[in-house]
Amino acid sequence: MKRYFIYIGLAGLLMQSASCTKNFQEINTDPTQTSADLYNPNYLLTSAQHAFSSQGYNMFLFEGFWTQIMASTSSLTSNYLSNGDKYVATSGTSDYQGRIWNTDYGSTDLFYTGAGNLVAEAITLTKDDPSKVNLTATCMIMKAMILQQATDVYGDVPYSQAFQGKTGITQPVYDKQEEIYNSIFNDLTTAIGMFDASKTLVTGDLYYGGDITKWKKFAYSLMLRAAMRLTKVAPATAQTWAEKAAAGGVFTSTADDAYTKVQSTNGHDNAQARVYGTDLYQTRWSKTLIDYLKANADPRLGVVSEVPQAGLAANKVTTAGNTTASAQQGLPNGYDLNGGPTDVTKEPNYPGSTGTGDDETPLGKYSRPLASVYTNLNSPIFVLTYAQTELLLAEAAARGWNVGGTAATHYAAGTIAGLTSLSTLGSALTISSTTATTWAALHPLDVTSTTASLKQINEQYWATTGIQFNYIETWFNWRRSGYPVLTPVVYDANFTGGQIPRRQLYPVTEASLNGTNYKAGVTGLSAGDTWVSRVWWDPAS
Amino acid sequence: MRQLRLLIIAMLLSTVAFAQTRQVTGSVKDSKSGAGLPTVTVLVKGKSVATISGGDGSFTLKGAPESAFQLQFSLVGYTTRTIEVAAGQNSVSITLDESATQLGELVVTALGIAKDNSKLGYSVAKVGGELMTKARETNVALSLGGRVSGVNVHGSSGGPGSSARILLRGMPSMNSGGAPLFVINGVPMDNTQRGAAGEWGGADAGDGIGNLNPDDIEDMTVLKGQAASALYGARAANGVILITTKSGKKGTFSVDYNMNYAVDKAIDFTDWQYTYGQGTGGVKPANASGAQGTTRLSWGGKLDGSSFTQFDGKSYTYSAYKDNIAKFYRPGPTFTNTVSMSSGGDKGTFRLSLSNLDNQSIVRNSGLNRKSINLNVEQNITPKLNVKVMANYIDELQKNKPQLSDGPLNVNNGLFIANNINEKILDPGYDANGAEVLWTDDNYVTNPWFVINRYINNIGRKRLISAVTVKYNLTDWLYASGRIGYDYENDRILKIEPTGTDYTKNQNYSNQTGSYNLQTPFAGQLNGDVFLGVSNKNITKDLVISGVVGGNILKNNTENVTISGSPFIVNYLYTPTNVYTFNRSYTYTKKESHSGYYSVDLNWKTYLNLSTTGRYDAFSTLAGTGIPNSQLGIFTPSVSGSFVFSELHKLPKMSYGKIRASYAQTSGEPVQPYQTMVYYGLESTINGIPTGRFSNNLPSGLLKPFTVTEVEVGAELKWFDNRLGLDVAYFHRKTKNEIMKANFSLATGYSAGYVPTGSTMNKGLEVMITGTPITNKDFNWNVSLNLTSVKNEILHTDNFNNTITLGTDRPNHGSVYSAYEVGKAGPQILGYDYKWDAKGNMIVDDGGLPVQGDLKSWGTVLPTLYGGLNNDFSYKNITLSFLVDFNYGNKIISATKAYSIYRGLNKETLNGRETGITTGVYESGAANTKTVTSQAYYQAIFNRNITGPLSVLNGDYIKLRQLTLGYTLNEKLFGSVPLIRSINVSLVGRNLWTIMRKSDIIDPEAGFSTLVSYAGIEGTGVPSARTYGVNVNVKFK
Repeated sequence: MKRYFIYIGLAGLLMQSASCTKNFQEINTDPTQTSADLYNPNYLLTSAQHAFSSQGYNMFLFEGFWTQIMASTSSLTSNYLSNGDKYVATSGTSDYQGRIWNTDYGSTDLFYTGAGNLVAEAITLTKDDPSKVNLTATCMIMKAMILQQATDVYGDVPYSQAFQGKTGITQPVYDKQEEIYNSIFNDLTTAIGMFDASKTLVTGDLYYGGDITKWKKFAYSLMLRAAMRLTKVAPATAQTWAEKAAAGGVFTSTADDAYTKVQSTNGHDNAQARVYGTDLYQTRWSKTLIDYLKANADPRLGVVSEVPQAGLAANKVTTAGNTTASAQQGLPNGYDLNGGPTDVTKEPNYPGSTGTGDDETPLGKYSRPLASVYTNLNSPIFVLTYAQTELLLAEAAARGWNVGGTAATHYAAGTIAGLTSLSTLGSALTISSTTATTWAALHPLDVTSTTASLKQINEQYWATTGIQFNYIETWFNWRRSGYPVLTPVVYDANFTGGQIPRRQLYPVTEASLNGTNYKAGVTGLSAGDTWVSRVWWDPAS
Repeated sequence: MRQLRLLIIAMLLSTVAFAQTRQVTGSVKDSKSGAGLPTVTVLVKGKSVATISGGDGSFTLKGAPESAFQLQFSLVGYTTRTIEVAAGQNSVSITLDESATQLGELVVTALGIAKDNSKLGYSVAKVGGELMTKARETNVALSLGGRVSGVNVHGSSGGPGSSARILLRGMPSMNSGGAPLFVINGVPMDNTQRGAAGEWGGADAGDGIGNLNPDDIEDMTVLKGQAASALYGARAANGVILITTKSGKKGTFSVDYNMNYAVDKAIDFTDWQYTYGQGTGGVKPANASGAQGTTRLSWGGKLDGSSFTQFDGKSYTYSAYKDNIAKFYRPGPTFTNTVSMSSGGDKGTFRLSLSNLDNQSIVRNSGLNRKSINLNVEQNITPKLNVKVMANYIDELQKNKPQLSDGPLNVNNGLFIANNINEKILDPGYDANGAEVLWTDDNYVTNPWFVINRYINNIGRKRLISAVTVKYNLTDWLYASGRIGYDYENDRILKIEPTGTDYTKNQNYSNQTGSYNLQTPFAGQLNGDVFLGVSNKNITKDLVISGVVGGNILKNNTENVTISGSPFIVNYLYTPTNVYTFNRSYTYTKKESHSGYYSVDLNWKTYLNLSTTGRYDAFSTLAGTGIPNSQLGIFTPSVSGSFVFSELHKLPKMSYGKIRASYAQTSGEPVQPYQTMVYYGLESTINGIPTGRFSNNLPSGLLKPFTVTEVEVGAELKWFDNRLGLDVAYFHRKTKNEIMKANFSLATGYSAGYVPTGSTMNKGLEVMITGTPITNKDFNWNVSLNLTSVKNEILHTDNFNNTITLGTDRPNHGSVYSAYEVGKAGPQILGYDYKWDAKGNMIVDDGGLPVQGDLKSWGTVLPTLYGGLNNDFSYKNITLSFLVDFNYGNKIISATKAYSIYRGLNKETLNGRETGITTGVYESGAANTKTVTSQAYYQAIFNRNITGPLSVLNGDYIKLRQLTLGYTLNEKLFGSVPLIRSINVSLVGRNLWTIMRKSDIIDPEAGFSTLVSYAGIEGTGVPSARTYGVNVNVKFK
């Protein structure tokens, strides 16, 4: 009988141990990751800067072509480029339309998404620690820039309630774009005032290595760019903030340029270079761009562009082609390889193919972005440049605003910087400052009328940002300024009714995951959640 | 009075250790057949003296008291008998009667406890191993399909060794994965699905149950309802399937050899148009580059037999080619050899089997090899102490497992080749430099012959499933049992994007190609149980109690090291060091649950039974800072009862009648550990500057174990001397607090998170009718029909009751997908419809093309009515069996349909080829006057994401699933022949004939994944196959 008691006792003990949960918390703690208290939030800033610069197909597919910087026959391996070149949807369109959203918001998955989220988290982790004020301020500026992109692409978007899942806000409201811009201006002002050189400097900064002076200039330049976005809808606000920015101190030379340095070997490559490389043999500079450069005898023509060596095989590799300015010819947008009336061979200026037999390529004689540089996965990515800043100042001055200097001097400085800064992308794109200055002197700003000035400035802005492969900025400024005047492609079954898209559709998941706020967001658009709807700062007239 | 005194004296004496003893021998026989009964427990009542009868029913009892005593004979399935042994009596010979209720068989229930089926208050079903060994599947679970009610099984289009989706009584909950718990010889085994394809590709790497060798399986018992499985607690929320492996039989020595040879042949379900050929815009390709852009477009001119230049620069005839599936896929033989040895003696049994399966897939250069060793040993160390050891070692290699669904390195890319191209012209798929020959306008759609000749995707597994069970009989009614099981899996997955793969060209490294990826996942599951059991203890003469009380600890851990790199420096040298850039990753998980449980069964006479169980589970996965301990655990009870009314009242013609009812709760936990806090991590550096990230999942401290509550009522009725049987069960089950992975707007900063808000309801009816229409000396016919009707409804999803998006495929991406939608059966297909006006006219735009209308629910992907019809005939030594199964009520998202429309292969696209299509009305209501080409019309449906009306197909089917025709050369024939005892030869076939289907161009069972979230989504997978073969079984003397 004693034995039974022992066993019953054992069973009892077992029941006891069953409910023992003492070490459960330890078991349920991932030994391969760390908690906030052991973490340096600088790492989040670094990731955010790279993620925000890793726009790859996010904008290559759409804005790179919509702005007619690039062109593609949109067939063969790159048929998805018809989204950009011809506004014709492919099976991936609904995915692509949400990609900028995923980069700007998003979870922090694998470098390429969640830029805004990363800096927002860094702000949360540092805001109560005065010793980290420089990191907080830097991340606030980053956040303003990142969410400005989101609102510029989509319209009304979450701002005030964004990135607050942890506090229980799982359906953030969409703020009105006008309010977002007010917040951006205020947040930038606040951040600039927070910098304190006596406190720990930022270590995770890929742009400036934590240099506070440069960050202040960056913030003011960003303020200027945001201000100029509003010229169409709210010129008075635009003037106020542009003047504040100029007074605060914007970029003063190309040494202030903000760009993200990458390291491909560690999985942090230049995504724009990667996607261009993938579609190398089917992607060309557009006729619109090359013709513009030709018309102005632009020194960039003999540098950024090459006609590849003959044959399909040579078109698929980065081997240097012919960079002679006179040999360059852009591919018009809207053509295909389908043998019909829009087949590229029917293009009025079709130069003929190169190569023969299997090696024949119908696009062989059109100019492509210099492959050795533009496909270089280690090439830096421009974020915000002195050239842009000067051109924006030129416009502000042309409008008679008090930003110091004349429109003409700002324009000259902007164009020169646009040329000389290209060497940042790769030494093969070096244009000497002598060449640039000489050329700028020969092509001064047309000041005969404000309209003429605005046209010239914004066309230059278009070419400058486009050639920097920063097409999304190219597109924003085109929408705002209306320059250059682009002729839309008209192609069967396009999704815009033959217009150049003026925004991207919200990610498809927003309707189900944040339905009420999504619907409210759509009401802020001129024509619903469509590609041709206009956002607040982009009214039709 | 004298007797009583004597008895008291005897009992007193018997407790004295130095009492004298004697030896009693005897035999136990079946009262009906007279055959000796092995394994009968022979016990001196009131003493710890016992023995067990041998194979012939004989026993020798040593140490019996010299004086008279009571000797008890017990054997499961027989009425226990106690006799008086007089002093001086040295031999005993008795017979045992089969239990009066021995109509139903003995079934293994939770914790491996065998119970009389007639006493159960819930429905269980047993499937004999012999049904799985003749006509086989490489995944044994697939053999369960159509066999018993309540069970729904489907495989994937992933090739041999792929996984199975097993659903007991519908989709049990939204995130549990659906698969039941598999318990092998009392120990839970791992059945993790190791990787599946989604819309962006992937391969079906198989599951856990698929590793088992069917030759080693004695039977499987399906515990469908929660009452049956309640003792397994959390892991039983999806039901339980108990597997008993074969063991040696007492008193016999035998050697068995089984050879199975079967050949798979691809079935061509496509029914393309062969009127218009390769090309676009109604013309055939004008030149090689035009041809390259249209190898997957049949929007060309009329196939007129003229000649044209193909993408390879050669000239071909422009005429139909119809044999691609038949020719591209080869006959795939599977050759399985199993040898087993078994024996049994007085003290124990032994069985050892060795098996080798060699399979060649219908996909060239792909196949499966599996070697298994199974050892089952049982030993009575002392008459009271019994030890069982099971060890099952599996060494499996899935060679070049095919990629499915998406284009990259998918060997099935040729399925949508233009209808005039003989796919053979793509062979060998690479040029003189070893570079992939691009055959289409998209280098992410890899040349299928390049895949065959160059791709490597080897999935290896070495696994040991072991279990040790110790049982100690404390008395004749009380025992203690302990069990340790360890399931250890070491996998090795080598995936090579080979040199020459076009899309892997890396401009940074001189366009070198390829990538290396080696994963070495480890998974271990340790399960320990200790329990104290009472078996058949008479409380009064009529009331018998059985029960257990015990505890369980379960530990799981996984570890995975991955090294990868790209591109290769030296071509064709596939090593992890021969790469320009490399990556590595490491994952580790650990979780634990602690449980205590009890079970009590009360049997009143032979007809009234009541059982109750209770279990407390606590889960480490719920623990976290600030989460109270009370939130980590849950108690779940069950109660079931049955009434065998036929025992009380004999009804005319009725030989057996039972009604039963049960109520039960089980619980579940989050699948993944580490979800209760935000983690911060590091990624690789950028020029020395570290980059960081943090959790994508929003942590939640609100989680608690979810519960499944089920009510089941049923009846089991038999008539005409058991020749007609009916088993009916109605169940209603509901989950509460299901742990949902809710997707969030990315503007929250988190892509997903867990919320305890899910609720799923399943209700249904299961019917099983069995009959023996003919039975006589030579000819027997048994027939059984099972059918199950299940209604699923999603009652609540995440905290906002949002629709939860699950899976889709490439061509329907953004247009049609499956999802959990509140109020609908899950997973539900949601997809965009055309836009319609109030009068039911289709609205088109100014260009005459259809426009996107509403997002519509198209039906569930899981069947609502399914079952099987089994027929077994035997005439003398010949047996014939066949199984017909059926499946109704589900819908399919078909990529095949979508692609075939988009690419102009589908017969539907013949509409308007010559005349164009003019259809619908404008938004204004005016009739459309614009004519568009057939190609523009159909392709616009895709480009505008309105594929719902085209891509959603009806999944109903009836199939002849299995057929076996066997002949046995029995013992008599070999009487004088040495060695051989008997030979059975069977002709076997699986998936022979689709009797009915409603999906015109696909196998309604096709699907690239067996995950519930991707159920009912098909396309660009390995074609379904018919299997024919022969099975030879030789028993040696």
